[in-house]
Amino acid sequence: MPAVGRTYWLTEPCRIRREDDSLRIERPDNTPVRIPITDVRDLIAFDHVDINTSALSILSRNGVSLHVLDHYGNHAGHFAPTDAMSSGPVLRRQVELTADPDLRATIGRALILAAGENLRWSLDTDHLDPALATLRAKLPSCDERDAIMAQEGNYRRTGWAVLDTQLPPWLRLNGRTRRPPTNAGNAFISYLNTLVYARVLTAIRSTPLHPAIGFLHADTDRRRNTLALDLAEPFKPLFAERLLKRAASQKHLKPSDFETEVGRASLSKNGRKKVAVLMREELDTTVYHRTLKRKVSYEELIHLEALKIVRLCLEDKPYKPFRPWW
Amino acid sequence: MNQPPSPDEGPGSDDAPLGGVHLKYLHHCPRQLWLYTHGYRPEQRSDLVAFGEVIDETTFTRRRDIDLGEAKIDWVTAGAVIHETKSSRAPAPAHAAQVRHYCLLLERRGVAVRGGVVHYPLIRRTVDVPWNDEARDQARQDEALARSVIAAPTTPPRLPRRECRGCSYLDYCWGD
Ligand code: SF4
Repeated sequence: MPAVGRTYWLTEPCRIRREDDSLRIERPDNTPVRIPITDVRDLIAFDHVDINTSALSILSRNGVSLHVLDHYGNHAGHFAPTDAMSSGPVLRRQVELTADPDLRATIGRALILAAGENLRWSLDTDHLDPALATLRAKLPSCDERDAIMAQEGNYRRTGWAVLDTQLPPWLRLNGRTRRPPTNAGNAFISYLNTLVYARVLTAIRSTPLHPAIGFLHADTDRRRNTLALDLAEPFKPLFAERLLKRAASQKHLKPSDFETEVGRASLSKNGRKKVAVLMREELDTTVYHRTLKRKVSYEELIHLEALKIVRLCLEDKPYKPFRPWW
Repeated sequence: MNQPPSPDEGPGSDDAPLGGVHLKYLHHCPRQLWLYTHGYRPEQRSDLVAFGEVIDETTFTRRRDIDLGEAKIDWVTAGAVIHETKSSRAPAPAHAAQVRHYCLLLERRGVAVRGGVVHYPLIRRTVDVPWNDEARDQARQDEALARSVIAAPTTPPRLPRRECRGCSYLDYCWGD
């Protein structure tokens, strides 16, 4: 990890080259931008990026990842630096812990309950209380991943229906759809969820943890980084549903920020910019942390979450998923 | 900066070399030493540490003697003198302990050691660290203590919160 550095959001097509110890980012309509590599924490590409191997090697040497989003906001993949932070003892323990069915279930239930409570917090309505009570009642008897996920599915569906009541008709989800998202609301949620996932992945990579070894999500059916999917759960409502609700109430989004066809929707170029700005501002938002005794940004909250898993691995300190305390 | 940490050396094993950084952490906080040797190393995120490294890199560029871990060594007629540079503004016992550790390592390699100096460029001061029987005993005790901390099966407790100020492990230890 660079000592300092920030996330660069590439919302337009561009070409990335290496120039000495800098990245040279060439955009179609603009003079190129040079960014010292030490200033970069990671890059998120919302649009086409043309990059060569010498740029990739300077990224790798400096511990910088490049996340690639597809047209519909799915995480298409990422370029990751060679595992610089890895550590035998932590990784061994991570493998042991994630192989323990009881612990898997305990952590899986805790993640889903936290995600549920955080959705309730984000929507700030008591319409979700009965569904949350059901989730709380049903989760303890779920010992298998599929059973836990089924409960979360039920709860989420109720959550999205409640969210719809807070949205103008054109932004409503009308049921969650992915790959591709079928309407504007779903496209927005997909992008934001992917950005959360990318932030979590970057945070995990600054620790000795392996992002592909997780507790809740299955690591067999999709080649995804399951620990990153796990830790994204409690944060998704904080960003995705909450920002959708807020953008709608502030009339910040317009139909023209989306490209909608029959049965599929994605963000327009301008929409991608808006989303990047919304997310960046949100990640920079700070809250006072009581034990750290300082303000921490939402971005740092994600980093602290990854550290909790390191503590679980090194010290058996029980993992308590993130909940907003403010 | 930006160098990958060395591969894991197998915490607690007797042949794992103890470097200056282990001694520094031992004196700062045994818990930090334990975490460091068991695989969690947040240093690269910390601006403070990066600043220290830059000072190390630029202050003695002309003295390229041999490298023993982090220490710089001068060869003078009466033996070897170890130089250690600190970006800190206040001399601390831990700094001298680190230099004594280098003296011990060097002596084990058969080098006649004369002593050491800690440099504080920010306050333009130096502190001499003598090398004698007493210093050698201290260095050996520190080394044994460091090994026992590393070999412990569980993490040493946290320091009182106020003593953690500026520690790069703070987010890890207190971020719950
Ligand atoms: S934060 Fe405090 S307890 Fe943790 S390693 Fe640093 S000094 Fe020790």
